[in-house]
Amino acid sequence: MVNENLVKDVVKEPYKYGFVTDIETEKIAKGLNEDIIRLISQKKREPKYLLDFRLKAFKKWQKMDEPDWAGLGYKQIDYQDIIYYSAPKQKEKISSLDEVDPKLLETFDKLGIPLTEQKKLTNVAVDAVFDSVSIATTFREELAGHGVIFCSISEAVKNHSDLIEKYLGSVVPASDNYFAALNSAVFSDGSFVYIPKGVTCPMDLSSYFRINSGDSGQFERTLIIAEESSSVSYLEGCTAPMFDTNTLHAAVVELIALDDASIKYSTVQNWYAGDEEGVGGIFNFVTKRGKCLGKRSKISWSQVETGSAITWKYPSCLLLGEESVGEFYSVALTNNLQQADTGTKMIHIGPKTKSTIVSKGISAGNSINSYRGLVKMGTKATGSRNYSQCDSMLIGDQASANTFPYIKSQQPNSEIEHEASTCRISEDQLFYLQSRGIEFEEAISMMVSGFCRDVFNQLPMEFAAEADKLLALKLEGSVG
Amino acid sequence: MEIIEQIKTNKLIDNPTEIQKICLHKLRESPLPNTKSEQWRLSNKLKFSNFLDYSVNEKDPKFDIPFPENSESNIRLIIGQNYQIKLIEENYSIQQLSEDELDKYIKEQISRFDQNENWSDLLNLSLSCTKNILGLKINGSKIPPIEIFSHASSNSLNAKTLVIFLEKNCDIELLQVNLGQENSSLSQSTFFCLEENCSVNHGVVSYGENRSNLLNSLNIIQHKNSEYNLGSLHFKFNFARFEISITQSTGNAKTNIKGMQITKKDEQISTYTKIDFNGPNGFLDQINKSLADDKSHAIFEGSIIVPKIAQKTDASQLSRNLLLSNDAQIDTKPQLEIIADDVKCKHGATISQLNEEELFYMRTRGITLPEASKLQLSSYFQEIISFIPVAKDRWDLLDKLLNEN
Repeated sequence: MVNENLVKDVVKEPYKYGFVTDIETEKIAKGLNEDIIRLISQKKREPKYLLDFRLKAFKKWQKMDEPDWAGLGYKQIDYQDIIYYSAPKQKEKISSLDEVDPKLLETFDKLGIPLTEQKKLTNVAVDAVFDSVSIATTFREELAGHGVIFCSISEAVKNHSDLIEKYLGSVVPASDNYFAALNSAVFSDGSFVYIPKGVTCPMDLSSYFRINSGDSGQFERTLIIAEESSSVSYLEGCTAPMFDTNTLHAAVVELIALDDASIKYSTVQNWYAGDEEGVGGIFNFVTKRGKCLGKRSKISWSQVETGSAITWKYPSCLLLGEESVGEFYSVALTNNLQQADTGTKMIHIGPKTKSTIVSKGISAGNSINSYRGLVKMGTKATGSRNYSQCDSMLIGDQASANTFPYIKSQQPNSEIEHEASTCRISEDQLFYLQSRGIEFEEAISMMVSGFCRDVFNQLPMEFAAEADKLLALKLEGSVG
Repeated sequence: MEIIEQIKTNKLIDNPTEIQKICLHKLRESPLPNTKSEQWRLSNKLKFSNFLDYSVNEKDPKFDIPFPENSESNIRLIIGQNYQIKLIEENYSIQQLSEDELDKYIKEQISRFDQNENWSDLLNLSLSCTKNILGLKINGSKIPPIEIFSHASSNSLNAKTLVIFLEKNCDIELLQVNLGQENSSLSQSTFFCLEENCSVNHGVVSYGENRSNLLNSLNIIQHKNSEYNLGSLHFKFNFARFEISITQSTGNAKTNIKGMQITKKDEQISTYTKIDFNGPNGFLDQINKSLADDKSHAIFEGSIIVPKIAQKTDASQLSRNLLLSNDAQIDTKPQLEIIADDVKCKHGATISQLNEEELFYMRTRGITLPEASKLQLSSYFQEIISFIPVAKDRWDLLDKLLNEN
């Protein structure tokens, strides 16, 4: 028998990013109403169409019910007890990083995301978002040389209003779901990427989201547009301090790929997950969707989900263009009292579209880890194909692993294949590794890493290493 | 939905039995299933309401069975015509359950009902009069194959209930046939209890005619070391739901299920299965096939629930689907809910059309396209049909299916 206690010890690892940055912030009053929305819009000096977009979304949100179909057990969220705008106080316009508060730079340094010129990660441009605002974006000039626009969404509203007006809400409409409507009403900042026709983005783009304040929610919005024959790889990381209260994070990500364009979106989500008793942690309700509008376009989601008390997230692809491709690679690790309900939706609309889903869930402690996905073949999706594979690994006999694939086909000339399996750490493999002199915890870590290999292979280099390290960290620790 | 109105106003049954009273009371609390729930959200509301449009018929007129004559080596029973029971009691170790036994068992079942999941059973037990409830207690192992018929006559709704108790070490082959005449609704609920070391080969063949509807529910409780094999086939219903609930009460039991549903025209047939492993060392091997043609809709939802107690469970579930027309649709949702860690559980699902390469291969050998398709379908059907006891030897189900496709 695998020693259950040993395994449990191995998966205990203190959260490393739980510190709070002591910085003066500008916050608005708690609560949510039209005036608050007007205030946010006014603070960001937004054009009228955006204020209208927000107010319309708010009206829709008021009429909607919080979804309960995922069966997630969490205490009711009081939406009037949240601060919807919180920003570190700094000078109005920042022309260079020298003007950014050193405390902020230090914070991101501590998180392993150096923003200062001399320490910048090579070949990765970073947009750092702190609470409600973007504080810095690196490598902007170099990117601009290639015609690539990479900035915060607030700047994009000012400088590229035509693109925002055209594409914002075109993939995830304001009325799409409860949390998307809330985000549309109160979103504060996020990243904007525009890759012009024929350009392969010269470096990976990245945004790093940091929640610092305990009583404010984070509602960021990301919009990526890849014009014809362009390609981009985008990375996203997130952490938050340890608070006893739950913080709400409701983001919306929209991707648009035109003819022959390709977008690769990778996430390593490591929000604070709450303590062993389930106190505190981030409620992560995220709507991510990509639209493969053009012929032969491709959108690939890869995610490593290790944090958050509650994860509710289904990065999806609308495959409209002929021969467009959607991919979803996911590793979700839950421990203690975490609950993750994650998966994808692959909606095949155009002909000859293809999608691949590879999902790996690891549940330990008393956690619940569910894969929930939809694959739909519409009536015009002739010659389309889908392949899905969902594997779950259970560590300990208190954790739960669920698989809920919804499969719907209206097109006979299409093929759908789905397979799922559940297993635990194999004693034979563990014994084999240990008999070769490999330590118990290293052996477990190796096996988990092997279990997730299909997904890690899809992550960009920098992230693959980080993800592997992150899982190893979560699985390393005090072997008793 | 005349029946629902009658339930609401308490005008449906003149002299209800105690069980009918309990069920009617429960139904009055929430007369219709929650159409937003997973179990009901895909059901066609119009067709479902059509099911409830016919008035209840407690009589059971004679009817022609469109299947082979009974042979001496088989026992044939028709629910609602229980006069044959005496005959059986004389020859074999099959007894009719006493009213008390029946009452006690059904009440125990009702106490565990979920208003939504067991809505079909609640309706059935509300409508099923004493005459239409057949309760059997079976003992011994040298029992000839049993055929049990349920039938709905035209322009009416018939409710039939079957309760079977299998005592220890019993071994039987049972074929249940549900027949629906034109414009009819049949509500069939079956309760099956397998004691220790029992083995059952159970076949369910549901065969409708024009515009016939069916709500068929199967509740199985398996005790230690029992083996339950189910082969099922549903076809030619305007609207049909087949709801299977199997509980391995203390684990250490084996369950094999091979089911198939075939839809054509604008029919909708769905299968819902729920397998609960309430003890260790349980085994399940399930395959469900659907074939949807014309403008029809086939649905499969299967859930496997493995709680902490059910260590060493070995469960697999496969949903294979053929979609043959541009206007037809298939929904499938195999699910796993697992807490025990030392288990082997897997599921798979595919949706496609007939394999083109195989068709091409056959055509290059001089076989015409219709013949080649027929051959492919025949192998697709055969896997299930060969698993249906009694029928596989005596009945020409394959021909029936192929000639209709």
